[in-house]
Amino acid sequence: MEKEQYQQLEQQVTPKPPYLKNIVKAFFVGGIICTIGQAVSLFYMTFFNFTEQTAGNPTVATMVFFAMILTGLGLYKKIGQFGGAGSAVPVTGFGNAVISAAIEHKSEGYVLGVGGNLFKLAGSVVLFGVVSAFFVALIKYILVTLGVVSW
Amino acid sequence: MKKLQTVLLLLLSISIISGCTDKEKFIVYGSPQNEEELKAVLKEEDYVEKTTVIQHDDKMLVTVQIKPWDKWKKAKLEKKLQKKFDELYPDKEVFVSADYKIYYEANKVKKDGLEDEEISDKIKELKKLAKEEA
Repeated sequence: MEKEQYQQLEQQVTPKPPYLKNIVKAFFVGGIICTIGQAVSLFYMTFFNFTEQTAGNPTVATMVFFAMILTGLGLYKKIGQFGGAGSAVPVTGFGNAVISAAIEHKSEGYVLGVGGNLFKLAGSVVLFGVVSAFFVALIKYILVTLGVVSW
Repeated sequence: MKKLQTVLLLLLSISIISGCTDKEKFIVYGSPQNEEELKAVLKEEDYVEKTTVIQHDDKMLVTVQIKPWDKWKKAKLEKKLQKKFDELYPDKEVFVSADYKIYYEANKVKKDGLEDEEISDKIKELKKLAKEEA
């Protein structure tokens, strides 16, 4: 069998992923997670001295905490299977990546296992986040210097 | 799929029901009785959804909630409103905030029925809170 023939056959056999259905699911799962985040943020504003500006940090911490509990109970992977990107893109997905790595490598010990592998997947999130933030800030700085936009 | 449908229906009905409650949207509370004047000034700005003003003597705290789509420009609109009030009341100490927390606390001042000096102190406290960044 030739390479092209094989590829044709493979394409025929592979089931088509239901893109639209996945997108709709991700939209709603992501939306629900963000609604919970908004509720947590409102909670901090109502009962503690946080403003819209400052409520962000404790909200993120709380959402990661929720993700931690759900990951530990094995529920987050079910949400992930159903919601796909909708559960991976919010900060809860980041929390899940950190904690599942910690659970997975616990058997290798605390230093080389948990410590060394904690940011196995989340490390790239942090790295690319920092790098892209740098470039976005650089572009904005240039635009401000040119007088196109203001801070 | 059935579950999803129920959830969607529930969300829809909640949003419709919550849209029907008609609360007072423009509130002015405090000592100088210039309610109508202030309300007229704020109603001119079509991006303002709800607002609560608390005042005592020459201190005034204007808290606004901006309409959803205009929230993209929240910081700019806040500044614009601050400028407008500074021009309208040059002899008063006005502070404008579009933050939900400040709005919530201003409403609480009215609900708790604080008076005179208490309002002044609260305004000072909220100003400090609004300026906090970390």
